[in-house]
Amino acid sequence: MDFLELLINALIAGVLLGGFFAALSIGLSICFGLLDTVNLAHPTLIVAAAFCTFLLNDVFGLDPILAGVLITPVFFVIGLVIYTAYYQFFEKNSAEALRGLAFFFGLLFITEVILIMVFGVDHRLVNAAYIGKSMGMSLGTIDVSIPYRLLVAFAVAAIMTLGLQMFLDRSFFGRATRAVHQDMMALSLMGVDPVAIKRIAFAIGLGTCGLAGALMIVVIPIEPAVGRLFIGNVFAIVVLGGLGSISGTLIAAMILGIAESVVSTFFGPSWAPAVSFGILLGVLAFRPTGLLGVGDTR
Amino acid sequence: MVELVIDNLVAGYGNVSVLHNVSIDVGEGQTVALLGTNGNGKSTLMRSITGLIKPTAGSITLRDEGTDIDLTLCSPREIVEHGVALVPEGRRLFPLLTVEDNLILGAYRREARDTLHDNLDFCFTLFPRLGERRTQQAGSMSGGEQQMLAVARALMSNPKLLLIDEPSVGLAPILVSQMIEKIGELRDSRGLTILMAEQNFNQAIKIANKGYIIVHGEIAFASKDATDLRENEMVKSYYLGA
Repeated sequence: MDFLELLINALIAGVLLGGFFAALSIGLSICFGLLDTVNLAHPTLIVAAAFCTFLLNDVFGLDPILAGVLITPVFFVIGLVIYTAYYQFFEKNSAEALRGLAFFFGLLFITEVILIMVFGVDHRLVNAAYIGKSMGMSLGTIDVSIPYRLLVAFAVAAIMTLGLQMFLDRSFFGRATRAVHQDMMALSLMGVDPVAIKRIAFAIGLGTCGLAGALMIVVIPIEPAVGRLFIGNVFAIVVLGGLGSISGTLIAAMILGIAESVVSTFFGPSWAPAVSFGILLGVLAFRPTGLLGVGDTR
Repeated sequence: MVELVIDNLVAGYGNVSVLHNVSIDVGEGQTVALLGTNGNGKSTLMRSITGLIKPTAGSITLRDEGTDIDLTLCSPREIVEHGVALVPEGRRLFPLLTVEDNLILGAYRREARDTLHDNLDFCFTLFPRLGERRTQQAGSMSGGEQQMLAVARALMSNPKLLLIDEPSVGLAPILVSQMIEKIGELRDSRGLTILMAEQNFNQAIKIANKGYIIVHGEIAFASKDATDLRENEMVKSYYLGA
């Protein structure tokens, strides 16, 4: 393969990977960017969802994407429970800063340990017609090969993230979600219960873990600690895009997806994480609020 | 139209009471000025009416077509549902949202959603400036424009009783006078009952049907009508420099 062919293949894979990253990050963008809850456990909960997908696929032979759709409401309910506990014990007493962080750190470890005890530390895969096959195309003299599993993950991720973005942009609930961290008292004056908004919005953010987990196990084999690989990525994406900006998160996911794919193709996969943080530092040096983040005018 | 009757209200923060036996009556379709300098309890009264703080004694009654609603038993959400809207002190806009998003959030109340588009048109006619800036971030506008937005956002909920806390604060004199005129127009065109807390007596008196002077959390003077307010000795000594 010549250079151009490698580059085009890397770019296409990067776009697909970017879509996958967007699916992993959008829930955190809601919880961290819009609600100020630093949910460190987000990637690990995605791994938990991936294991649920694995079970449904292994035992009942369900399609992984369908399984993801089915477990999303379960994660929504888990989100309601987690936020209620977090609010009751930390946020209500304004103890969210450090002890709240410890709460989510603890949640991360407990989830991981439970996964290890139940599933062991082996890598797990799912079976589906589109896994393990690639679509070959030729553009003139250049051969492009796209794995179907990445295409499927990309399509599902695009529907999920763009749908959610539209919902947050246009609905009454979405506007209240974007307003809640700006002024909770003003929101009560509009007849909105700010805590209820936060609880439901957090649950929606956590609900995305369900589908994102299904996408994860479609894209890569998983084991309980694989979430740690992604903590850096997802936080880098949310901060790079700009806290509070969902479209920023989607753009940042695309940028990091393409950058990681190109760098692993030409320099080897071990350089990929360095690229995420290199881009993050570079952008923050010039735009401290991230790509589409807006300065706090208060 | 609605009437607001506050009777012997005691309210405050924690163990400190700020309001001591405050009684106020805002008649149907009236504009009542609540006058007093900083720290005398004007905002505390506004917060009590909107349910943001719970009074320790006394009553706040909203009389709507003959039915009495005890607002002290209602949550802030229920009070909004009953048709009470507050333009808070310091405006309290959502600075990072657009003008339009701020206005739409004002119409969160179920009943107001049906008339969202009519109300948006109404606000843009009342304050054409907001129409020109509908996609701009609220926090990036001037103080006068932000005050317009704060009033317009409160109107989006279709209120029957409009509470306005210090509409003139931080505005240039010409803007204060325009804002007060707009508030007067609103009362006439929408049949609103208005309670307005103000420090700027000369402006408030232009549209007020009557007024109360609040000093250290107590009503120091209650006027029968506008003339009575204008000619009161205390008003003259406090505000008119006589």
